Amino acid sequence: MTRQNIIEISGVEKRFGSFIAVRDLNLSLKEGEFFSLLGPSGCGKTTALRMIAGFQDHDAGTIRIDGQDMAQIPANKRPTNMVFQSYAIFPHLNVGDNVAFGLRKLNLGKAETDARVAEALEMVELGGLQSRKATELSGGQRQRVALARALVMRPKVLLLDEPLSALDKNLREAMQFEMRRLQQKLGITFVMVTHDQYEAMTMSDRIGVMFKGQLKQVDKPEVLYARPCSREVAAFIGGMNFLDASVTAKAEGKLQAQVQGFGPLAIDVNPNVTRRGTKLLTGIRPEQLEISAKKPEGYDGYLQGTVTNAAFYGENVHYHVTAAGVPQPIAVSVPNYFHTVDHQQGDPVWLGVQNASVIDLGAREA
Amino acid sequence: MAGFLRTEAGKGLALSAPASLYVGLLVAAPLGILVAYSFWTQTYVEIDKTPSWANYLEAATDPLVRHLMLRSILIAAAVTAATVALAYPIAYFIAFRTHRKTLWLLLITIPFWSSYLLRVFSWKLILGFNGVMNSALISLGMIDEPLTFLLYNEFAVVLTLAHAWAPFAILPIYVSLQKIDRSLLEAATDLGCSKLERFVRVTLPLTVPGIIAASLIIFIPTVGDYVTPSLVGGSQGKMVANLIQVQFGPANNWPLGATLSLVAMASVGFVAVLFVILATALGRRIR
Repeated sequence: MTRQNIIEISGVEKRFGSFIAVRDLNLSLKEGEFFSLLGPSGCGKTTALRMIAGFQDHDAGTIRIDGQDMAQIPANKRPTNMVFQSYAIFPHLNVGDNVAFGLRKLNLGKAETDARVAEALEMVELGGLQSRKATELSGGQRQRVALARALVMRPKVLLLDEPLSALDKNLREAMQFEMRRLQQKLGITFVMVTHDQYEAMTMSDRIGVMFKGQLKQVDKPEVLYARPCSREVAAFIGGMNFLDASVTAKAEGKLQAQVQGFGPLAIDVNPNVTRRGTKLLTGIRPEQLEISAKKPEGYDGYLQGTVTNAAFYGENVHYHVTAAGVPQPIAVSVPNYFHTVDHQQGDPVWLGVQNASVIDLGAREA
Repeated sequence: MAGFLRTEAGKGLALSAPASLYVGLLVAAPLGILVAYSFWTQTYVEIDKTPSWANYLEAATDPLVRHLMLRSILIAAAVTAATVALAYPIAYFIAFRTHRKTLWLLLITIPFWSSYLLRVFSWKLILGFNGVMNSALISLGMIDEPLTFLLYNEFAVVLTLAHAWAPFAILPIYVSLQKIDRSLLEAATDLGCSKLERFVRVTLPLTVPGIIAASLIIFIPTVGDYVTPSLVGGSQGKMVANLIQVQFGPANNWPLGATLSLVAMASVGFVAVLFVILATALGRRIR
């Protein structure tokens, strides 16, 4: 069986007065896919999710779920269910009745309803907590109840609005893995809205990055990280040093370019970039740079500079290095193997970079 | 002494002292006097202070007392039901359907800017034999003679009080509606509820505390109301408070008046507690 497109969105637009919240949204999601909409707050990602759920009408375009046009279908009749950012656990009902809320509409009978509630609670590891009061739940438990309450409806698409943002860091990381496991087990399409790039990358099959109402790039996490389509996407996902460059030659998928500070490098052409020109913008991830007191061996480009800032982050150490001919400090992140900060503020250092680590971000804007 | 005032308990006592004193002098003491009076007996000019159950016996056996007490509770219940039923949609409108909440809340309190007595008299003018209502209906040719069932009966009492109490019902219900997280309503829709089902299964149970508060605020003072029934109630609309007033005034039987007051209080308390238990249980049954 070929995997079908469960959601097809084409040309969707949403206006609030004169403000365009979402413009020309085109997106196809496959069955069983974990998709994340990533972007800063106010970029329209939640509006997009709410249009899929039916809480918001769209002003133009079509939204199809499982082949059916959703234009005339109200939220309560759509084959989607949602996990709300605030979890929206009904405070007047206990855990069991919360999970059974949607099932009671289906008139399944008590035995079947109870069985499905028990199964859903088992699934989110809250088995046997049916009679617990909603007001007595911890944040993590509320999140699980919200998940069970939506999944018990066996939706075709599960929509998640910043589902983990209310949890503390450790719980959030544990839930990321758990939700991913659940999604893979059930094979339901998950559409998640988040502003957390790491959350999006660890959980998703594909990520759509949105800025100012527009979907800028849709790709697998690793492609998004290595081949961002623009400066804003590159800056939003992970750290990035932006360096100006000028193209001197182009051959066999490589750009020969003079990169600010590092000199001549051969850069892979980024297929996701559309704007072309000789004035190139390049990006280098902080963790892809080598930092050393002596000139390191085997790199394609080098830069000599001075450490202006050294910060210990635990799992890695972040340095800021300034160099002649580079206007902004260059961020470097190295794994913390030996629990030491090797370079201090004011130390002269060498930076080394490989050709493959330099990302082509297309023609510069000015 | 100064040391004690610095302790947690001392601070608490000191802070609550003014209120305690106030409540003690103006609530507990009069209530004590009332209880004392209820066990005494009126003898023409003096009061016999030998304790006796005679007043309670009279209150329990006199059919007039029973009748008026029952009527007071029924009228109060009708007023409460009418007020809450009329107030709920208004509170709902302010909480969910308008952005000018402050303006609407202000408008609702406007009747309070005029005297309560004035408002009761206005109803007399509206409902009276030659009142606004009758004149209007006659000049429209809908009736030939003035309607007499408008004023001086239970209906007039219920109507007048339902109008007077409206803000007291709207405000607590509005607060409980306002507190509802809007995402709960969306969650109900998401789980398949129509608007009506959503109201019955989520909004209504979550506003039960507001409904209870509104009901108690209206029911308790209404049972003991005496101005409205004496102005618009006629003989049919008389309530227990009017009887109590007679005992303390024209009949000059303070001990019986005190007994009737206490009996009324106990009945109101009983009905109120019963109502709270019932309403809470009903709210819990909705799943």
